[in-house]
Amino acid sequence: MIKQAVQPPECMESVYGSTPLMRAAYLPGMAAVGVRDLFPDIKQEIYLHGGNLAAIGKATGDALAGVDMSMIKPGDTVNILCSEHGFSIMGGEPYVEMLKAIWRVVRERTGNENLRLRVAAYRGYREADEVIEHYRLKEFFDGKVSGIGPWEKGVPIETEIGTLYGVARAYDADWFIHAYYDDPREIYFHRMIHRALKAFAMSYARYETRSVYHMSFGNRSGGFILKAIFDSPFVQERFAFACFLRFSPSGIIAVDADNDLYQIDRRVTINHLRDFGKMRELLAAIDECVAIWDGGRWGYYIHAGGVCFGVFINAKYDPFDLTNPAALSVFDAVDKYSGGPMLTVMQINPAIKAVVMNQSWPGIVIQDVPMLTPTIVVGREQAEMYVRDSANPFFMDFAVTAETLDAAVGFAQKVTGTDKLIVFDGSFGNVNCSPSLAQYLIDAAPEVNRRVEDKLFPMWLKQRGIDPAEV
Amino acid sequence: MKMVKFVSRVDSEKCTGDKRCEKACPSGAIKVVEKKAVVDEGKCVACGKCEDACRERALSLVPCPQPRFVMCDSSDVDPAVIKEVCRKAHLYPEQFVCACTGTLAAEAAAAIIKGAKDPEELAAMTGVRSGCGIYCTGALLRLFKAAGVKVPPSEDDKWYDLPLSVWDVPQKVAEEHPGYYLEEDKRVLFKDEVLDQL
Repeated sequence: MIKQAVQPPECMESVYGSTPLMRAAYLPGMAAVGVRDLFPDIKQEIYLHGGNLAAIGKATGDALAGVDMSMIKPGDTVNILCSEHGFSIMGGEPYVEMLKAIWRVVRERTGNENLRLRVAAYRGYREADEVIEHYRLKEFFDGKVSGIGPWEKGVPIETEIGTLYGVARAYDADWFIHAYYDDPREIYFHRMIHRALKAFAMSYARYETRSVYHMSFGNRSGGFILKAIFDSPFVQERFAFACFLRFSPSGIIAVDADNDLYQIDRRVTINHLRDFGKMRELLAAIDECVAIWDGGRWGYYIHAGGVCFGVFINAKYDPFDLTNPAALSVFDAVDKYSGGPMLTVMQINPAIKAVVMNQSWPGIVIQDVPMLTPTIVVGREQAEMYVRDSANPFFMDFAVTAETLDAAVGFAQKVTGTDKLIVFDGSFGNVNCSPSLAQYLIDAAPEVNRRVEDKLFPMWLKQRGIDPAEV
Repeated sequence: MKMVKFVSRVDSEKCTGDKRCEKACPSGAIKVVEKKAVVDEGKCVACGKCEDACRERALSLVPCPQPRFVMCDSSDVDPAVIKEVCRKAHLYPEQFVCACTGTLAAEAAAAIIKGAKDPEELAAMTGVRSGCGIYCTGALLRLFKAAGVKVPPSEDDKWYDLPLSVWDVPQKVAEEHPGYYLEEDKRVLFKDEVLDQL
């Protein structure tokens, strides 16, 4: 079951991150273990990085065949809304392929030629332009492509609980298509309560709405913000349909499209709780390791076996168990306030004995990582980016720098005393890791599988009003 | 509190005066005067947003000759007043409101009590909003509201006054939607009795 390390997706060149000199998968002695070798019943992929992209185009066409597009008239304006994270998954190509297929099918079915692609950024002013250029989106989409960001003019959205603000240009059309993905990003925020709706309080939203969702509600009650925005007359009057890349830890398992977003959301929820539930539980069972951030974009969102680093770092909590009031440590710290002063924003999974940062973009707050665990940054160029990073002004006061990945990993192993390495490099289908960790995962998987199947999966479903007997 | 180690500099040859930097600046440090950006270095919080936003690459962060702390000294503000503002905002005084800069609710509340009238002035006084610029916004607007300061509208979309929080959800709505834990999360996020013990 233990095999050679697999090639990770490539890193897109960007002003926001340095280029890794070497990927961790190519360190001497690195190995991999297949996700479906660990859990044979995890859904089989139709596409994995490096595969045939035609499978995505076909799956998108098949999925859209059952979608009603009669509301879109030839003279209407239509926004296809896409989000930056999709371009980071498996190198972004499958997401681009889905977007292209949506464009083709909608034009064919409706005769509409006023389709515009809106590329939503996380926070950087140049993000969308880089994506548009890298994937040559203007060439395919007849030049009707532009970026949107949370700094732009807002549009008030009246909801059941008051006014919230979207980005005006996300909604400046007669119709919009929600072109999204369901990978397990930020489970600790959304708790699998309307994962499929998250973009309405993030990618398509102003700064203020993003903040209200993430920080002024709890990470269970925040799900109501998503519902309130999506159910608002303003959004409902413009929503045409949704089209999703659907994932399991093994890779892309389907393209899913529907006029009823809540139906997609239900399917996403069931699949996530079972398949990602197992992988998350397995990674949470790791007793000790050195975690390597190895390329992609912002470090929280880089995958290993389909699970994001941010999920691993918060793994001491079960984010799917809704009786657990807070899955994100910052809220947990608030809850425990009376027990002592809050010295940090996060509490990091204690199994992470050290972090090696081979490549990870600055720009999102992660400075608690070096404050709480030994952190080695690879390369002076990357270290300098963190010195200048306003989202992490203290980061390099706590981290150390190594000239090479080899040196960084060697140092981490020496100070921690563990030979268990796990690489977050964007991989689905496999976990690149050291042989010792691969064996650990193989040994632990059967018990995790039993626990999830017999106890946790039914409990998680019931907590969300889903009868396990129906699944 | 933020240690500012860099400052924004303008290359006037490249600057076209398109005001993208002025709009991006969270602390009001940049004004375009006679079609050229001008940086008030005393207000610059080294966020780098101007550098990122400028299409002409006319702005860049350069090391400060003398790094400086941006912080609001709350020692001359009555702690009881800070505590009550925080209570109304459902925040603990020693709770982070800006994770990037490590700014506590007490410092942001003190800056508002000492005269910050909008998010821009608050950023210049404390450094908040100079990191990711996203997650702190809601809590800061809650503090303004709690202090009785009506945040004026921003003419160029720099902010929208949105102090909404889970405590604003009507009880009836919470009861109709039990699957969202709206009532329960109020107690997870804030407890009056905990604040009373401080």
